[in-house]
Amino acid sequence: MINLASRDIFHSWGKFIFTGVGLGLLIGVTLTMAGVYRGMVDDAKVMIDNAGTDIWVVQQDTLGPYAEPSSIHDDVVRDILGQDGVMEAGNVAYLTMQIQQDGKDVRIMLVGIEQGKPGEPAFLVAGRPITHSHYEALADIKTGLTIGERFQIRRHQYTVVGLTRRMVSSSGDPMVFVPLKDAQEVQFLKDNDALLNDRARTTVNPAFNRPGVPGLLDSVLANQITSHMVNAVLVRIKNGYDAEAVAKQIRRWKHLQAYTKDQMEEILVAKLIATASKQIFMFLVILAIVSAAIVAFIIYTMTLNKIREIAVLKLVGAGNQTISSMILQQALGLGLIGFVVGKTAATIWAPLFPKYVLLIPGDAILGFILVMLMCSLASIFAIRAALQVDPATAIGG
Amino acid sequence: MSKLRFKIILLVILLTSVLAWVIFTQGPLAPVKVTTEKIQTGNLVVEVFGIGLVEARHSYDISPVMTGRIKSLLVDQGDRVRKGQVVAILDPIDLDEKLASSRLIAERSASSIKIAEAELVQAESQSRTISSTYKRYVELHSKGFVSQEMLDAKLNEKTAALAALDVANASLASAKRDQLKAQSDAAGMKSLRNQTRLLSPINGIVTETMLEQGVTVVPGQAVLQVIAPTDLWIKTRIDQKQAGMIKAGQKAIIVLSSHPQTSISGTVERVDLISDSVTEERIVNVSFADPEINSSLGEYAEVTIKLPVQENARSIPTAAVKRINQQDGVWVLQNSRARFVPVKIGIESLDGRTQILDGLRDGDEVIVYSQQAIKEDLKLKIVPKIVGN
Amino acid sequence: MREPAIKIENLMKRYGEGDTAVDALKGVDMTIWPGEVVGLVGPSGSGKSTLLKCLGAVIEPTSGKMQLGGESIFDNTWKIDDLRTLRRDRIGFVFQAPYLIPFLDVTDNIALLPMLAGVPNTQARIRARELLDALDVGHRATAQVSELSGGEQQRVSIARALANQPPIILADEPTAPLDSERALTVVRILNQMAQQYQTAIIVVTHDEKIIPTFKRIYHIRDGRTYEEAGEGRDA
Repeated sequence: MINLASRDIFHSWGKFIFTGVGLGLLIGVTLTMAGVYRGMVDDAKVMIDNAGTDIWVVQQDTLGPYAEPSSIHDDVVRDILGQDGVMEAGNVAYLTMQIQQDGKDVRIMLVGIEQGKPGEPAFLVAGRPITHSHYEALADIKTGLTIGERFQIRRHQYTVVGLTRRMVSSSGDPMVFVPLKDAQEVQFLKDNDALLNDRARTTVNPAFNRPGVPGLLDSVLANQITSHMVNAVLVRIKNGYDAEAVAKQIRRWKHLQAYTKDQMEEILVAKLIATASKQIFMFLVILAIVSAAIVAFIIYTMTLNKIREIAVLKLVGAGNQTISSMILQQALGLGLIGFVVGKTAATIWAPLFPKYVLLIPGDAILGFILVMLMCSLASIFAIRAALQVDPATAIGG
Repeated sequence: MSKLRFKIILLVILLTSVLAWVIFTQGPLAPVKVTTEKIQTGNLVVEVFGIGLVEARHSYDISPVMTGRIKSLLVDQGDRVRKGQVVAILDPIDLDEKLASSRLIAERSASSIKIAEAELVQAESQSRTISSTYKRYVELHSKGFVSQEMLDAKLNEKTAALAALDVANASLASAKRDQLKAQSDAAGMKSLRNQTRLLSPINGIVTETMLEQGVTVVPGQAVLQVIAPTDLWIKTRIDQKQAGMIKAGQKAIIVLSSHPQTSISGTVERVDLISDSVTEERIVNVSFADPEINSSLGEYAEVTIKLPVQENARSIPTAAVKRINQQDGVWVLQNSRARFVPVKIGIESLDGRTQILDGLRDGDEVIVYSQQAIKEDLKLKIVPKIVGN
Repeated sequence: MREPAIKIENLMKRYGEGDTAVDALKGVDMTIWPGEVVGLVGPSGSGKSTLLKCLGAVIEPTSGKMQLGGESIFDNTWKIDDLRTLRRDRIGFVFQAPYLIPFLDVTDNIALLPMLAGVPNTQARIRARELLDALDVGHRATAQVSELSGGEQQRVSIARALANQPPIILADEPTAPLDSERALTVVRILNQMAQQYQTAIIVVTHDEKIIPTFKRIYHIRDGRTYEEAGEGRDA
């Protein structure tokens, strides 16, 4: 017995491929949407993994430093270093801001780090780590900055000396690492106009500007511009110690909060991106349903176009099974072409998206199974129509 | 098989191969790209970087010792002054009158001395006269010409005259002391009067006038600041970790924020004994090689201090050095996998090379750059560079 | 005594019920012998198509008797379960239009029928080639349907009808779109095939060009048939 489905496909292969490509693009969009969702979750996870940290110490009663602002003194790190089980600890400062690059505004997360302490990027793709105590930066390639390029933040120019990859904030903004002191100045020190304004206000305040006390005003002004706060302390614990146990110890000091890696992940994934990811997931479901509907429509139409041939086949003795399997095989073939086209298209255009799109093999396999299922179900409508054809219609009037 | 069918099957195979290639070279199944380097031997230029502020080595805040009102400022910012030059004058208020009064008191005391001297002469003459009279009366008494009562009376007179002489002496001494006191007072008042004139302690330039004419000042409140202009240096802050090898006399390159394109040479003058424990920085003072540098006080400067060159140092890019569980080491490539090798590191140069003292062989392929964090079981692929420039 | 290829007695077909019922066939008798080519002539609305559909085991008559090759297949009810295999194995169809399957080549269009009957592919194709040669279209064996002329397609459809060597062939207006020369060619072929394979062929037609070629003609009018001897002219 010859395979009717393959004959039909080969005969009108152009139409078939064309339809397959169209379906494939739709499947590609659906796969990409799944990739966007996974990318969002991965953005959150990779930031946590990249920190190379076991415990985040932040301001008490906050979900910081990423989900909420957190502000602690920069000498807290010394006390933490003395805690049992703590191997390394380092101050970090985080600030989401915009810089100018090539005339465009680039949104970045400015990270203040101390050389050799937790918070420093674990690997580079070019250049060298920061060696100068000020005004050098490591930039993620997603910023578009190159080695040697300079950019301005507030009062100073920074030179890019190294590049990183996939160092992004939980919302996908690329990170730029600078020395901690510079980041503190950026975050807690205001721009020139604001500083002058504050200075003027303090100067006219008689409480701070007493004539009988020389030097008082200068001291007050100096105090206003010192910045000794950071957003978090990143902690690495010694081998053999339990992160939660050490974190509990740190929490016992009532003015600090400490989160382990798992808790941080939960905060980011479950809380920070929960709404966005739910939205995307819903969209994904709708896309899948739409794709299924379109596949059903396509297959139904293809079958209806063959009504006369089906009537003739039934008349000359082709059974229901022969006709059903022809339609089903065509549907599955269409699905296969669609899937191949869709997966290839998704892989090719994924890097072009502004945010990270993660296509994992598991999703592809699941997608393949769903596409095949969808095609099978869709073909049911067509098969029903085909089986209902009366062979008598082949015999005219 | 028809030609068309053949072509179509070929197309399908092509598409499937494309898909397979895509799956295995992009995405999570692809090997991780890395770049490697071998250890290099050469001279390692060792430098230390810090930023600092231009300051005067010595700066003087000129302030009065008494409360007063500024009568006039005789100099302005930027003026050159000599040592001893009057730079500001306070309003003397009643000091002149007080000075005149003390002078008059001194004069009056001179008169008092004259009076006391005259009285002393008188008392001396009187006591001499009475003494000789008494001597005669004693003779006369012994001859019986004078009565005992008269002798006693004369004795009394003598005693009184002697006492009066003592008084006159004492009065004179007192008057003299009064005069000294009055003179002291007058001198003191004059001194105080002089303090209304503020003098420059050095030859230099006025850098700041903090107060204006007519303002009331309290003791210790600075009116002017004067510095020696050829005595500028940069108070540089160096991370404590890097400051260990800095010594006075080392050469440095200075870039002032007012001339960012110019490199100026300088020398390390002094490393302060007391560091900043809060910021964990040491203060290193670097002077300009050429004292006639045009810079403003408080200007930012970037200072790079040159330490002795490390000769024949074996080094690798700093980007390759990792720290795992507090152990320095590098990832070495072996059969497409990575192995963590602990190393002992020496100095790090500012341009990104780290000296390896121990732990690496000459031919070892050290992983420098990678697409993601290296782990033991990752499949790796060497490429010439990961990011094109 | 040989059996008639088809024998119908008092076949009736009623469509609908009650007041709106229509009697398409009101008692049809017909006997056709193997190797005969018989015409079935009648105006539209005469029950012609209904009779054809009953003969083709496509619709069920209301009452009557139908025998194929001596075997009773309808006696007021179907006597056979599987009408489809009956059609596949025992009845060949030739339509007004060739109705060839466009996505099969010429050989496979014909070979499809034996294959559906379970014949191995190679054998089915050999049989198809034989039929194509018999109909003088052997040189078009590997062609696609769209490449054939109308006449060639018609020949192929006749070959298809013969593919399973059915005892009877039902031809529904096979010459309607053709000019007289081609129409007579078709008739000639049918006669040839009938002789060669001893197949009984019923040709439903109102084509004046070919009616004279029939030796026997059944006229159908108002649901009843009347037999008539035809001219039997050579095509």
